[in-house]
Amino acid sequence: METNLITDTSTTNLTLLAVLLPLLAFVINFLLPKHQFKWAGLVATSAIFLSLIFSAIIFSRVWESSHILHQHLVWFTIGDTHVYAGLLLNNLSVLMLLLVNLIALPVHIYSIAYMKGDENYNRYFAYLSFFCFSMLALVVVDNLVLFYSFWELVGFSSYLLIGFWYKKEKAVKANKKAFIMNRIGDIGLLTAIIIIFTQFHTFDIEQLFSAKGLVVETILKNGLWGALPASYQYLACAGIFMAVFAKSAQFPLHTWLPDAMEGPTAVSALIHAATMVAAGVFLLGRVYSFFTPSELDILAIIGCFTSFMAATIALTQNDLKRILAYSTISQLGYMVMAMGVGAYSQSLFHLVTHAFFKCLLFLVAGMVIHQMQHLKEEQQLDTDPQNIQNMGGLGKQMPLLFLVAIIGGLALVGFPFTSGFLSKDSILVQTASWSWAKGGAFYLVPIVSVITTLLTAFYVTRLIVKVFLGKSKLGIDLANQHPAKINLAYSIPLVFLAACSLFLVFSLNPFSYLNSWVIKGFSLYPVGEGNIWLPIVISLLSTLFVVFAYLIYSRPNKNIIPQQGFFYKLSYHEWYFDLYYQKLIVTPILLLANGLFWFDRVIIDGFVNLLAKITITLSKVAAWTDRNIVDGFLNFIVALAEAIANFTRKFQGGKVQYYLFSMLVILLVLFILKTVF
Amino acid sequence: MIPLINYLVVSVTLFCIGMYMVLSKHNAIQILIGIELMLNAANLNLVAFGKYDSANNAGQIFTLFTIVMAAATTAVALAIILNVYKQYKTIDPDKIDKLGD
Amino acid sequence: MLSLLIFSPLLFGFIIAVMPSRLRTSFKYITLLATLLQLGLSIWIYLNFKTGAAFGGINHEAQFQFMQKLPWINLDLGTLGKMQVDYFVGIDGLSVTLLVMTSLVMVIAALASWEITSNLKGFFILFLILDMAVTGVFCSLDFFLFYIFYELMLLPLYFLIGMWGGARREYAAIKFFLYTLFGSVFMLLVMVGLYLSVTDPATGNHTFNMVQMMNPANYQHGSVFSVLSHQTIFGFSARSVGFVVLFIAFAIKVPVVPLHTWLPDAHVEAPTPVSIILAGILLKIGGYGIIRICLGIFPEVATMGAYWLGLLGVISILYGAMNALAQQDLKRMIAYSSVSHMGFVLLGIASQTTEGISGAVMQMVSHGFLSTMLFFLVGIIYNRVHDRSINNFKGLATIMPKYTLFVMIAFFASLGLPGFSAFIGEAFSLTGAFKSSSTNGLLPYWLSVCGSLGILLGAAYFLWTLQRMFFGEVNLKGGAVWQTALSDLNLREKLTLIPIAIMVLVLGLMPSLVFSKINDSVLALISYLQTK
Repeated sequence: METNLITDTSTTNLTLLAVLLPLLAFVINFLLPKHQFKWAGLVATSAIFLSLIFSAIIFSRVWESSHILHQHLVWFTIGDTHVYAGLLLNNLSVLMLLLVNLIALPVHIYSIAYMKGDENYNRYFAYLSFFCFSMLALVVVDNLVLFYSFWELVGFSSYLLIGFWYKKEKAVKANKKAFIMNRIGDIGLLTAIIIIFTQFHTFDIEQLFSAKGLVVETILKNGLWGALPASYQYLACAGIFMAVFAKSAQFPLHTWLPDAMEGPTAVSALIHAATMVAAGVFLLGRVYSFFTPSELDILAIIGCFTSFMAATIALTQNDLKRILAYSTISQLGYMVMAMGVGAYSQSLFHLVTHAFFKCLLFLVAGMVIHQMQHLKEEQQLDTDPQNIQNMGGLGKQMPLLFLVAIIGGLALVGFPFTSGFLSKDSILVQTASWSWAKGGAFYLVPIVSVITTLLTAFYVTRLIVKVFLGKSKLGIDLANQHPAKINLAYSIPLVFLAACSLFLVFSLNPFSYLNSWVIKGFSLYPVGEGNIWLPIVISLLSTLFVVFAYLIYSRPNKNIIPQQGFFYKLSYHEWYFDLYYQKLIVTPILLLANGLFWFDRVIIDGFVNLLAKITITLSKVAAWTDRNIVDGFLNFIVALAEAIANFTRKFQGGKVQYYLFSMLVILLVLFILKTVF
Repeated sequence: MIPLINYLVVSVTLFCIGMYMVLSKHNAIQILIGIELMLNAANLNLVAFGKYDSANNAGQIFTLFTIVMAAATTAVALAIILNVYKQYKTIDPDKIDKLGD
Repeated sequence: MLSLLIFSPLLFGFIIAVMPSRLRTSFKYITLLATLLQLGLSIWIYLNFKTGAAFGGINHEAQFQFMQKLPWINLDLGTLGKMQVDYFVGIDGLSVTLLVMTSLVMVIAALASWEITSNLKGFFILFLILDMAVTGVFCSLDFFLFYIFYELMLLPLYFLIGMWGGARREYAAIKFFLYTLFGSVFMLLVMVGLYLSVTDPATGNHTFNMVQMMNPANYQHGSVFSVLSHQTIFGFSARSVGFVVLFIAFAIKVPVVPLHTWLPDAHVEAPTPVSIILAGILLKIGGYGIIRICLGIFPEVATMGAYWLGLLGVISILYGAMNALAQQDLKRMIAYSSVSHMGFVLLGIASQTTEGISGAVMQMVSHGFLSTMLFFLVGIIYNRVHDRSINNFKGLATIMPKYTLFVMIAFFASLGLPGFSAFIGEAFSLTGAFKSSSTNGLLPYWLSVCGSLGILLGAAYFLWTLQRMFFGEVNLKGGAVWQTALSDLNLREKLTLIPIAIMVLVLGLMPSLVFSKINDSVLALISYLQTK
């Protein structure tokens, strides 16, 4: 791709339209009067449909045209710095633009049926439109300030949607957790942006990260990064990683995603499986040139670890959506790892394929849960409709669902002829060659990845067997139950997504990812050599695991795996992350907060009050002094004068005899004195 | 011949008695009597010392004057006492302390 | 023009004073009219405010706009020269945005005064006097005049808190009054010292003119605060002492930890309109004073002490946020969040970069609106049930959906969600603070990183409160009685909240509304600080 800027007005306008239409839908739905709520779904869906058409046009114009469309206006000026608002369309962003719309449309259609009858039907679609707006804007904006803004706004809309059923205590706790954990990442991103701005004095993504951008030109040398110390670069990199780990639910900031499943299932499909969580990977793609090789190694290791950890957790979970959530974390781990090993295009390829099949699986899960809820209400059972231990036998009842679930599952496992095979194995091949080049302990990375793939095969099989095969664990004969009607609003999205999970959409050759159009679109980044043997070996091993898992779980009511072992507990309790986060972070912070409040009240305010008390005491002392010393002296003089006066007054009592007596006494005294001296 | 000192002793005794009466009595008449005693003590002294002024007998003459004067003042004093009594219905000098104001 | 803006409330106050008490129901409308008129005037001023490098203001008297300078007190002191106090008002970019913000907040406060039921005449007269004083502070360019307005604010506030406040109102009022007076008394000393040091080059007299105090050439040789002669007080440099004293006076207003403890008490006890004015405007006077006076008159000391200023700012951010996290009382929580948010202002100012100071001003304007909104919202719930303990409410979203909507707007705007004004303010304060380490080397970069943790904690306490009070099943301490008492917003409340919500959103989307006006002044200030 060359970096010649074209300023194509019609494309710009189309992009603006594609982004702003969902916003318009949000505003309309928000202002919709109460009795018109039924139109909300239609408004949102048609907005996203139009947006899809526009983004398809944009995609066709930009993709493979080796053009980058970059246009901006001055948004505001601060000091001498102009902050721009603008669009940056390259292959990456138009691909995401199309993908988001492609996923969002089926989810919208599905939601119309899924959310029917909810009292906040319009609010749901308003939020959904708002999410689409922020997500679409996120992928097309051209500078970091706006990127951060929409980055946080997608988090915010995810907050709104997770807590959509705000009366559910768990949902509200989950959305708080999601937002705060994402905030940790946001702070990282903000810090990184500030550092980058300090270093380069611009927020422009094109100027910064393109092939001849400022970032590439500035190299780390002798502990210096341009004019700044190298530590700045590390800090910025750590900030970006934090942001990615929070948004894409990577270790150690992954624990919000399983909890986020408290939201409506269609939301989980769109936001927490396909689009928003992929934003972290998208961010890596946007700023890819920023990282040094050793930083990428860290990324690879963390991605690898996350995918392995999440896969082990998924093995033992019983909540249908939680299993899928951990599977999502695991797959995101793959993408992050792929970015780390330099498999840029493969990572994005996997992002795209994963979006389709994971969205599909979630939508299937939504239908399953609906059906279980339906059964629960009909039979008046007190069961958790999401617990797979209670399911079973749904395959016969809902064959279409079963079929698409198998397609989605196989894609997730990475079976040949599915899209997952192409993308996942492309990553594994690249990882293997990367570790070959590095040697040493880096061999662990591909090995662990392969193990993760096998674990994936295992838990996917477990899921499908438990849900669709066998008999219902509820003790109901499902044959007598009429299944929930699958109307078009359900079936169209499912079939569409299932079709997109097959190889044909991406590559004509089901065994070679090298010819896939997605990979070709990012020809700037090296793809490495294809390898046909590794994928086939892995597929064979996976098949083995699928059969193994099938054999274990198809037997009714047997717990083959001991439920007491350390590994089982570790996996079942999700590696105890929540417990320790609560113990080591949340509780101490609350304690600290209370401690500081105590400090504020007792020490600082106490000090102020003490000053007040001291002043009052001092003034009391002064008042006492005033009364008793200063005033007392005056009073003493008065009293003295009075005493003297009273004494002398006695001589003037009007008593003649007394006068005479005094005269006599005085005379005598005088005489005595006279004689003595 | 009776020595001078004997006269003087009598005179001092009289004077002291008079003085005591003046200072301590609660009756104006008695005070007046005290005054008379003191006057007579003075007269006695005048007469006694008059012996040494043999030329003109000035002592005796003074004494005569004094006796006359005493009679006159006593009359006045009695009149005053009478008026005081009319005014205050008492002749106790302790009770009459208007002079102090 | 400015004089009209300043004194029109006084006129209305006078009208109220002479009106008979039986017309007391009309007082609130008169007050509202006064504030609306003021708003109109200030918007007119804002629109006619010229921008460009020639209108930077700060230390160039000629560059101020809407100036009015009248000799006011001229005492011939014989050999001591002439005492010269001018009535000197004028605005530059720093003041104009704050002025508009003040007038709007005053309108909101007037609308919030509907809840006052006792002694209306006294309340509204004091309210209008307060209005005059705060407007005057932002316009004064003569230190003497500034001081008079500054002190004049205290008196009405003391009575407003002390007479119309909550249960511990007397304690709060006295605490507030003494705290602030403590600062301003020493400010008086410095002011007199400055007066004796500075001469007006035109007349040769001593002067209180703040703009002339910024020019080192105007200081008499050998005078206390002279830049060149390095006088000392108690062994410290006299100018440092002067700076510190003025800083303490304004830091109490801001408030900066550890001088903040009057604020929770005063806010909690004050009636809603007074809380609004306190948080919305009074705190900004602290920030404004630091920029205009501390930085303006003692630039070189400000540069020396920048590290400590920044440190105090970060401590305020984190300490305030942590304290907010620990609160059970909604109003107290918001009061502490104010401490935290104003910490960003101090941090931005300390950085002495364009981004930092612009961010600080933006944050002040934004916080003016947001704290107004937050306190108004608390007032609504308190009026309904006379309780505001967070734990006594649950599930308010179900019974008061519109109220919850506004609470969410206010909370999310306050915690710095992009699209709202606080985000711009906070982000650029932090940017400035960070940039400072590489441009002027005043602040180490970890300060900014620590400051950004405040944003995280902000999310924590606001979201926690939302979760505890508004979401979940309805569960009120007062049971059914409360449920009926807690009616949703009425028209007046909606009319009050909508304009602020719009302002907050508009400023977040178009920060240039503020930045375009302040930019020249900030640039002038920065270049002034660099040359000093």
